[in-house]
Amino acid sequence: MAKILIIDDDADIVEAMRLVLEKRGHKVDMAVDGNEGLAKARAGKPDAIILDVMMPGLDGFEVARELKGDSRTRDIAILMLTAIKDKMGFDFQKETTDPNWLPVDDYCNKPLDYELLLEKIDHILRHKKR
Amino acid sequence: MKAKSENSSTGTQLIDRVYWLTRLRWVAILGVVATILTVPRFFGIPLAISPLFRVAALLAIYNGLFAWLIPFLQSRQMYRAIKALANLQIFLDLTCLALLVHFSGGVENPFYFYFIFHIIIAGILLSRRETFILASYAVLIFLGIIVGEQQGLLRHYGVLGTSAAFLHESSMYVLGVSFVFSSTLYIAAYLTTSISNRLQERERSLTRANEMLAEKDRIKSEYVLRVTHDLKEDLAAIHTCIEPVQKGFTGSLNEEQTNLLSRAKVRSKQLIVYVDALLEITKLKLTEKVEMHSFSVADLIREISDSIEPLAHHEHKGFEVLMDLKVTTMKGVRVYIQEALLNILKNSIKYTPEGGRITLEVQNDASLLQIKVTDTGIGIPAEDLPKIFTEFYRAKNAKALYKKGTGLGLSIAKKIVEMHQGKIGIESRPGEGTCVRLEIPLAL
Repeated sequence: MAKILIIDDDADIVEAMRLVLEKRGHKVDMAVDGNEGLAKARAGKPDAIILDVMMPGLDGFEVARELKGDSRTRDIAILMLTAIKDKMGFDFQKETTDPNWLPVDDYCNKPLDYELLLEKIDHILRHKKR
Repeated sequence: MKAKSENSSTGTQLIDRVYWLTRLRWVAILGVVATILTVPRFFGIPLAISPLFRVAALLAIYNGLFAWLIPFLQSRQMYRAIKALANLQIFLDLTCLALLVHFSGGVENPFYFYFIFHIIIAGILLSRRETFILASYAVLIFLGIIVGEQQGLLRHYGVLGTSAAFLHESSMYVLGVSFVFSSTLYIAAYLTTSISNRLQERERSLTRANEMLAEKDRIKSEYVLRVTHDLKEDLAAIHTCIEPVQKGFTGSLNEEQTNLLSRAKVRSKQLIVYVDALLEITKLKLTEKVEMHSFSVADLIREISDSIEPLAHHEHKGFEVLMDLKVTTMKGVRVYIQEALLNILKNSIKYTPEGGRITLEVQNDASLLQIKVTDTGIGIPAEDLPKIFTEFYRAKNAKALYKKGTGLGLSIAKKIVEMHQGKIGIESRPGEGTCVRLEIPLAL
């Protein structure tokens, strides 16, 4: 059981993820944009954040860099949600191996595969505790 | 913007024609030299050989000079200078022709008809005003020569001997030739520029129509892109909401509930795949310029092989990669090339029965990457083959086998290959298999 913050501007996707994660026994908080997400991450100190890339205003990349660059929030595990190939035409798998380029712990492609999402959440939470 | 593109298109047209004129002049010079050499010998006509050769040499010198100068001006896009040069060339041509006629009999020499060619060329290349100015210049120098010779102000180089010894002195004849010559040149100038103007007008309107169509196509593609993007957002949300329920993450379901939700999920997934492909091809259509980077072909092929191998294995189909690379890298957009190959290979797997084989052959030389994807699948009927790269088109037997399919996989592959200045081709025998060939320049 962990505290998980979902930052995504699509309320329906957030709701679906919330139900699944709560069934798993996690405590879930939600934010609908980058700024709200940053504020909630700083105030609530979640164990992990599920972060969407494409959001109006502050996007997922900026939020991730902000969090990992701040000593108070550096330890929060981040799982990024991407449909990125659509927009930019690059291969996400390759780029994530470079922590300087994108400081996240793992990523998941949209539309979501929940088994994979839960597996990855468990993995980054375990990894964090060690 | 529009005016500029129009200018540069008439600019390239002018350049093409100026090159053509230069080539034509080499032929004319050869003709002049051949005439000077053969006429005295075979027709017994006495020619003033040395002044004629000097004129031919003058022609050759300035033609050589122009042949060197035009590419220079072209590389600096100095279209005005090239236009001025075209004027100058025709002016010099007229002068040389006048000199040739003067040194070979003046009014006795029927070659003065050749002045008409120059006026026709001017009418094609230049404006109506310039053509009339050149026609006037031609009239002036030719009339200057024949009147000058008639008046005894210029030396007459007789070529017809006694039979026409006094022709150039006959004022009636010289007057007649002058009138017919001038009127012929002006009429030729008028007719040629009329036709040429009308053709240019038509060409301009065609260019405008083409630009308008391209613009309309672009607007349509942007519209499709926006709509598909919005559709995809909603579809992804629908899919994301159905899946946890169907998989029982939110509590267990009875058999009927699972059944119906599974169907809904499959259909939403199909739509997502379709919308993804539509997004992809629309984006490719709207892409005008891409940044090409060097990457390792060998790594890419291995990566592709790693993702295709399990798919083929899972469906009990053989998959083999034959790689023979002389050069390991190429320049291009890696994800696009990967996508093109994955589309072709996935097609092969989809339409090859269990127990069949798919072979990916990759080879290159110093300049070209050649890829061949061969399968032992259902093949494509001959009548479907010419349309197989057309967007949304699916072969009859493919539709019979799988009702659903985007009909975009090969179109996307083709767009990507063309973006890399490559070629794609397909051969197939129904019931035996299909072979897709790609040739992409390494662009290193």
